[in-house]
Amino acid sequence: MKISALIFGYNDYASHIAKNVAHKYNNILIFKLDSDAPRKELDSFNIERFDLSDDWSDLKNNYDMENSIAFCVLEDNAQNIFLTISLRAAFKKLNIIALSKNKESANKLSMAGANKVIPLVQATASIITNILEKPIVTEVLHNILYEKSDLKVAQIEIKNHRCFLKDNGDGIYPSEIEWNKKYGILVLSVMHVDGNSEFIFSSKAKHHLIANGDIFVVIGYEADIKKFEKLVGGTL
Amino acid sequence: MIKRLVLDVAFFLNTSKKYQTKKRFFYNFLENDNYKYKKYFDMFMIMLVVISVIILISEVKFHINEYFLYFNNYIISILFLIEYLLRLWLSSSVSEIIIKQNEHNTMLGKEFNLFASFLDIVKIKLKYISSARAIIDLLAIVPFFHQLRLLRIFVLFRVFKLFRYARSFQTFSSVLATKKFEFLTLLMFSSIVIFVSSVLIYVMEANNPNSPIDTLYEAVYWSIVTISTVGYGDITPTTDAGRLVAMFVIIAGIAVLAFTTSLVVSAFTEKLDEIKETKMIDDLKKLEQFYIICGYENIAREVAIELSKNNKLIVLDEDVGRIEKAQKDGFTALNYDPGSVDSYRKLNIDMSIQVKAILCLRESDVENVYTALTVRSFNKEIYILSLLMHETNRNKLSFMGVNEILYSKELVGLITKEFVGQPVAFEVIHALRSEYASVNIQEIIITQKILTNYITIEQLHTSEYRLLLLGVYKKIDQSFYFDPNDSTLLEEGDYLLIIGNSIFITEFEKHLHKKIKR
Repeated sequence: MKISALIFGYNDYASHIAKNVAHKYNNILIFKLDSDAPRKELDSFNIERFDLSDDWSDLKNNYDMENSIAFCVLEDNAQNIFLTISLRAAFKKLNIIALSKNKESANKLSMAGANKVIPLVQATASIITNILEKPIVTEVLHNILYEKSDLKVAQIEIKNHRCFLKDNGDGIYPSEIEWNKKYGILVLSVMHVDGNSEFIFSSKAKHHLIANGDIFVVIGYEADIKKFEKLVGGTL
Repeated sequence: MIKRLVLDVAFFLNTSKKYQTKKRFFYNFLENDNYKYKKYFDMFMIMLVVISVIILISEVKFHINEYFLYFNNYIISILFLIEYLLRLWLSSSVSEIIIKQNEHNTMLGKEFNLFASFLDIVKIKLKYISSARAIIDLLAIVPFFHQLRLLRIFVLFRVFKLFRYARSFQTFSSVLATKKFEFLTLLMFSSIVIFVSSVLIYVMEANNPNSPIDTLYEAVYWSIVTISTVGYGDITPTTDAGRLVAMFVIIAGIAVLAFTTSLVVSAFTEKLDEIKETKMIDDLKKLEQFYIICGYENIAREVAIELSKNNKLIVLDEDVGRIEKAQKDGFTALNYDPGSVDSYRKLNIDMSIQVKAILCLRESDVENVYTALTVRSFNKEIYILSLLMHETNRNKLSFMGVNEILYSKELVGLITKEFVGQPVAFEVIHALRSEYASVNIQEIIITQKILTNYITIEQLHTSEYRLLLLGVYKKIDQSFYFDPNDSTLLEEGDYLLIIGNSIFITEFEKHLHKKIKR
């Protein structure tokens, strides 16, 4: 049973998604409706036909649907929502990422069971605003996100909180540690066992002693992050 | 000889920088509504008019100090005379008329005709003198020449002068001027009704000893009072025939009143959009910096909402429906075609100084390329950002000199790559970008003022403000330095990238700009 990236939609979005997830998924399948016209740029991918009334038995039998990922990027909003519902109904644990072209369909796609909705209009607008208002921030974050710099953002779970204890054995607050000087990283936020994520300098995080099970979101160079991971227990 | 002298003087004045600068100076004060000091001149003139009227009113029942009368009759009148002469001078250029006449004659192989030039000048100046505004200006000077009581009524022309200085009056009269024909028809109709009814009532009532109408003057007075629906009741017809005429005039009066009201209302309704547009363009001139968003579709709308939180912006779109939507959303939106140079000319703004960037956000590559081409045709420097809908058109936008191209389909690919590869980084950075939970990432530029107090990173004390210094973007090598050393030197033009609560970031910025007493 193969782990695959299943892209529903035979269009430019599918082409860009396929190119960008190729490093992670060896098996990429693009599904086209009968009404879709042929496109040369998608010829290099595995193309399969599908129908919105499919019962998905082929997928069930041939792919590891619990670990695969599905992208719903059909041009028609109603069809995209219907497809998301039908995939969710058939595969409870499938990771579904859906593209929404407006606010209304974003809500509907979430209700239909998509794990992640990409709001096209909002995402584009937000990038435009950031380019205009914070060009430096946008460039730096873009480089971090799209691996154009050595900087990484990671989520690290504390499994060995003892390494943070004071000499007298007392616990320590995250804001008391000079993370950059000691470990070469910056801690952005702390997620407590209760699931709430707090910015490192927020009053809540300031009054919470580091404990096992806390999850730190850190930013730093890959080597420093790995060293830190080793020290505290592991990454997620 | 005289001809030569006149021509020399005309050419000299036309090319003299000093003379033209002076003329422009007076033009700005008197006629140029866009000149920022004109309003002070207008206010001064309005003040003079008000003083004049107050003195006239006070003089009716009270004794007025001689100085006030002197001020009213001489000083104010002289000021008005100077203004009148300046306006007459500015109304047309004499030197230009002479030069044109000379060029015309030279072209036809004739000798310069001084008399024809003189006639042209007189004609053009007379045209100005006979305009309603100029007549009012001239009559407003009159009290200077006459001390006769009856002629003091001329001071009222000074009140009319207010029309010249208050723009709302000008708008009002220009709106009414659009219905000139209708008002003329109404005037004709009322005049005929008044004339006919005056004659009729005079014929019916004048011979009746009980009737208060004895003269034609009284008959006309009664007709006007009745047709205007005022009806004082001091003069009333007593005969049956007279009352019949009264009924006719009353009905005609209702018609005249209704017609007048509807004319004024319809004139304003028709001109309302134009008035609003003029007001919007006037307000634009006052804005220091703003964005121009071309098009108002889905993405443009979201961008406008985001940008308007901290910026001023205007929306241009040739589609009426979209412009109405933008106006409903509370934006300054004009129904101008972003692909037309004329649209930008009409805005009457300094593009290089006032406009931060032009955003071509139509969801059509053809429209965006066309808009970019239009903007580049008159401004090579301005920052242009454009949406791209199809990859094949990217080179066209680049060719047009668009500074930043945003291809949303590529963006979807990048988002999915990040989400699949580094979901944590994606969520965290997305949260920082969207100011989620009030934690924000901000860039702060290092200015000369900041450098007078802070030279190194250590001196900034970011942690005291509960902020994380992500790094410094050095201007010198245009590179980002993550978590720089405490001893790193700051330089003018560098950017600090700070993460933290928005309120603390604001406090920190204030702290940076505060003067430290040493």
